[in-house]
Amino acid sequence: MNVVYKHILRFIVLTFLQALIFNQLNIGFGIHLMIQPLFIMLLPFELGVIPIMGLAFLMGLIIDVFSNTYGLNASALVLMAYLRPVVFKFYGPREGYDPLKEPTAHDMGTRWFSTVFGILLALHTFWYFLIEIFEFSRFFFILQKTILSGGLSFLLALLIQSFLLNRNQKK
Amino acid sequence: MRNLIAFLQRFRIFLVFALLQILAISWNVSYLNFPRSQYLTTTNDISIQVLEWEHDLTKHFNLSKNNTQLQWENIYWRKRQPKFMYQISRGKYKIEDTVFEQQYTYIPAEVINSSVTRRNNYFTINVGKLQGIKKGMGVFCHEGVVGVIHYASDHYSLVKTVLTKDINIDVSIQMKKSDLPGLLKWDGRNPRYGMITGINNDLRIKKWSKVVTRGGSGIFPKGLPVGKVSYTEPIEGQALWKVEILFSADYRSLQRVYIIKNLHLEEQEALEAQIPADEE
Repeated sequence: MNVVYKHILRFIVLTFLQALIFNQLNIGFGIHLMIQPLFIMLLPFELGVIPIMGLAFLMGLIIDVFSNTYGLNASALVLMAYLRPVVFKFYGPREGYDPLKEPTAHDMGTRWFSTVFGILLALHTFWYFLIEIFEFSRFFFILQKTILSGGLSFLLALLIQSFLLNRNQKK
Repeated sequence: MRNLIAFLQRFRIFLVFALLQILAISWNVSYLNFPRSQYLTTTNDISIQVLEWEHDLTKHFNLSKNNTQLQWENIYWRKRQPKFMYQISRGKYKIEDTVFEQQYTYIPAEVINSSVTRRNNYFTINVGKLQGIKKGMGVFCHEGVVGVIHYASDHYSLVKTVLTKDINIDVSIQMKKSDLPGLLKWDGRNPRYGMITGINNDLRIKKWSKVVTRGGSGIFPKGLPVGKVSYTEPIEGQALWKVEILFSADYRSLQRVYIIKNLHLEEQEALEAQIPADEE
């Protein structure tokens, strides 16, 4: 039960961090920080794809409600949840993942975490801006937004992981 | 039947994925057509409560700047009031004005939640249907145009700002001096700059000339400031200018807005409803 509570806490904390703080930040250069992919990334290895997609849809819906984006976050998060097992399988160890471990930088190593999370976050961010802007003539603008926002969100996710979530684990 | 179940079993992950994606994207594409989907925006009861708590904390961030702006606006109007002016011709004649009649009235509101970095940016304000807000009313701040009401719930409403994709439908603009009409657009890059298209190449546009509202559809009065021309360039292969404007309002730190109520709008609409429909 402890594990379930931990993930519920993460869900609430990350959703409201995104909805109330990172949505309101205005850094400039069109950068939009997104922290919600971290929750999808940190769900346990043995959880099936369909529950993950359900959770992703729910989380995206809540963030959409708070930011008037009409299904944009839900779509991007569901895509990330769908591709998560594919990327995990590609970068996984030969004998499969240890069910006692969690997909965190602490358990699996920073290198593994940054590769897998980087790919998933890049796909999520690219899809988000592709649907949001929806003009294929402005492909480079989409790419620029993806690189800037994705890069900063990645650093932010690493920071949040090392400061907030590791402390949870020690308890 | 068994084959069908086997098929569903085999592709169930993809089917769930496709279902959720279709739900999300169809909502994103067609939210204008389904009024009920407006419930899932910041104007619903739960999210507005949370955002109000947040607003109570963050509203002080731009307070001194906003107060200074309001003070300047007060001075502006105070200077124009007859009772504060020196009267040159005393008691010679009395003016009973029947030439002018009030056409627009204004409702003050506060911005609860806003965004400027997305492709389509909406502001949530703290007045709603109970204060007489309806869909399609114009919104402005003292520096310039903000947008139109997109959806109104009982106590709150959603403003579609000029920082959206298809704002040219709602806000019609023109050059102040030459009365040239144009189409206002926003390309999603910078919340300070917008674009105007549809102005012919053979007409000259001066830099820093003012752009104001046209006031044709009765949403905005004529002559509300929108911005100033900051850059012009001929579009290659077309007889049109590409005009970039600097918005006169800074939407990033906006707090107080006014909603325009046109007292003559019903009359205008009743009149326009008498235009016979095209019969073909």
